[in-house]
Amino acid sequence: MSNIRLASARYIYMHDDVEEACKKVDTHHIVFKRRNFWVFLVYIFVFLLSMKTLDFCLGIDRTAVLWSMLFGARLVYSFYQTRVVKESVVIIPAFGVQLETHFWSGGVVRNFIPVDKILKPVLNEHLTPFTCHWSLALVIHGKEELVLAFKELHLPVKMLAPIWKALCVATGRGESTDRVSSEVQ
Amino acid sequence: MAVEKGHRILMVSDFFYPNFGGVENHIYYLSQCLLKLGHKVVVMTHAYGNRSGVRYMTNGLKVYYVPWRPFLMQNTLPTFYGTLPVMRTILIRERISLVHGHQAFSTLCHEALMHSRTMGYKVVFTDHSLYGFADVGSIHMNKVLQFTLADVSQAICVSHTSKENTVLRSGLPPEKVFVIPNAVDTAMFKPAPERPSSNEIVIVVISRLVYRKGADLLVEVIPEVSRLYPNVRFIVGGDGPKRVRLEEMREKHSLQDRVEMLGAVPHARVRSILISGHIFLNSSLTEAFCIAILEAASCGLLTVSTRVGGVPEVLPDDMIVLAEPDPGDMVQAISKAISLLPTIDPQLMHNRMKKLYSWHDVARRTEIVYDRALRCSNQNLLDRLSRYLSCGALAGKIFCLVMIVDFLLWCLLQLWKPAGDIEEVPEYIPFHQDGEILQSFNADQNSA
Repeated sequence: MSNIRLASARYIYMHDDVEEACKKVDTHHIVFKRRNFWVFLVYIFVFLLSMKTLDFCLGIDRTAVLWSMLFGARLVYSFYQTRVVKESVVIIPAFGVQLETHFWSGGVVRNFIPVDKILKPVLNEHLTPFTCHWSLALVIHGKEELVLAFKELHLPVKMLAPIWKALCVATGRGESTDRVSSEVQ
Repeated sequence: MAVEKGHRILMVSDFFYPNFGGVENHIYYLSQCLLKLGHKVVVMTHAYGNRSGVRYMTNGLKVYYVPWRPFLMQNTLPTFYGTLPVMRTILIRERISLVHGHQAFSTLCHEALMHSRTMGYKVVFTDHSLYGFADVGSIHMNKVLQFTLADVSQAICVSHTSKENTVLRSGLPPEKVFVIPNAVDTAMFKPAPERPSSNEIVIVVISRLVYRKGADLLVEVIPEVSRLYPNVRFIVGGDGPKRVRLEEMREKHSLQDRVEMLGAVPHARVRSILISGHIFLNSSLTEAFCIAILEAASCGLLTVSTRVGGVPEVLPDDMIVLAEPDPGDMVQAISKAISLLPTIDPQLMHNRMKKLYSWHDVARRTEIVYDRALRCSNQNLLDRLSRYLSCGALAGKIFCLVMIVDFLLWCLLQLWKPAGDIEEVPEYIPFHQDGEILQSFNADQNSA
């Protein structure tokens, strides 16, 4: 059963513990809070912009209004179709870790990493040209680059810490990082 | 915890490791000593190749290699406002109390100081170079420096000559400028256990082979010294556009067996080259403070140098022979140095250098400057704008406009991403277990 553990201004962290065939499947969800007000604002902005463009091109009439509404709706839909609403880390002990990205359109992208390929889960400070935030990544055997657990969402460390701790335990890195995780918690 | 009692300093410059040089060394050693004094030190620089992101150095020195690519002479492209978001994030997440910018050439330093003042942080600036007043480049740089230093809390120069130069260029009140010389890591630059053979005299030159470092002087000095002293041999370390001229000189005077050209020398190899010589030759045409001289003296070499900039302030008279930047005078100075060689005791020289120049002393003196900077009163935007207006009839207005836009952008960032949304980072305590540096989160993070 899902139970809300933590919530911030933009994200909700949920944790599932499911017993499946004598195996404990540990699922950590990060849900992006939908902001309907912003959706409405974006739609209004696109609608007005397309109205103005069509007015400039065709001259204002009913057809132009209809076209602009359709065009605006299509733009908003395509924008939200690629919008991430939820990202999950599914830990299957002794098997591996599955990273999931859920989109607004209903599409899901899954990436399974076998446990023997995971060298170490790391809490990393991710620096971009304009900002710096925490990220949870996996060091994978034979891969030069880190695999990010949450590509799209920039989460607070208080949400990443329990997931990192669970990954440490699942990948057999619990002992060397136990002291750290207790301090993180 | 000791860290909380000290200052939280952000060092900003385009010049840092893996690059090697005077500024890079200064920032690194100063940071290490400040960490030992109980302060928190963070360094911000641009990315070097694939060295990007957050890295940790000795004693947990945290370095932000911001993924901005350098575009000219290791400098990032001047964007004025491009660095504001990342700068603000770093200042908040590291709970910085003071920003220390290094080197007037660094665009990242100028931008960081500008943004820091906009956000109300106290700033300190260290100038490591001397500039002219006549050429176009210097005029432009001096105007930029005037803009940056118009609102700086305190400034540091590496020599009295450098202070004079900075005060003249920037119009900064002299009482705001402190002189703190560079130092040398004497543990790294020790003399050879045995003195090199006195059958032949080895003169060592280690510098970038560029006009400013007096490579053209070397072209005229080396053949003359070689003619006068058949037992003198030269070792030239370094690379640059003037290397071709030195190679030509070597061919022309058939000095292949007496002038050894090493090319670019990694910093780790400098000591091994220095200890193979008797005299260190510095032919710089301009120098605020020459660290190379300190390194050579620490290795027990007698120094011959041009009397330029802050060089006469660096070493006591019995450890250096000064000459005008003229080939004839340089040859005379080398002759004098050769005659003085029997009186030189490398170990004694090294011990004296140990007492004279210490990074711990530099850190303690810098700490005093930080204390003074933090005691400076906070001024509102209007008070600060009046300072910028006094920078010139046209320039003053441009500077004011730049600062107003910066302030508005900062206000916009405050609305878009409030300071409360930026997480403060945990303190890192070096704790070795399985070769890892482990994290210890603050009480506020624990309660969260």
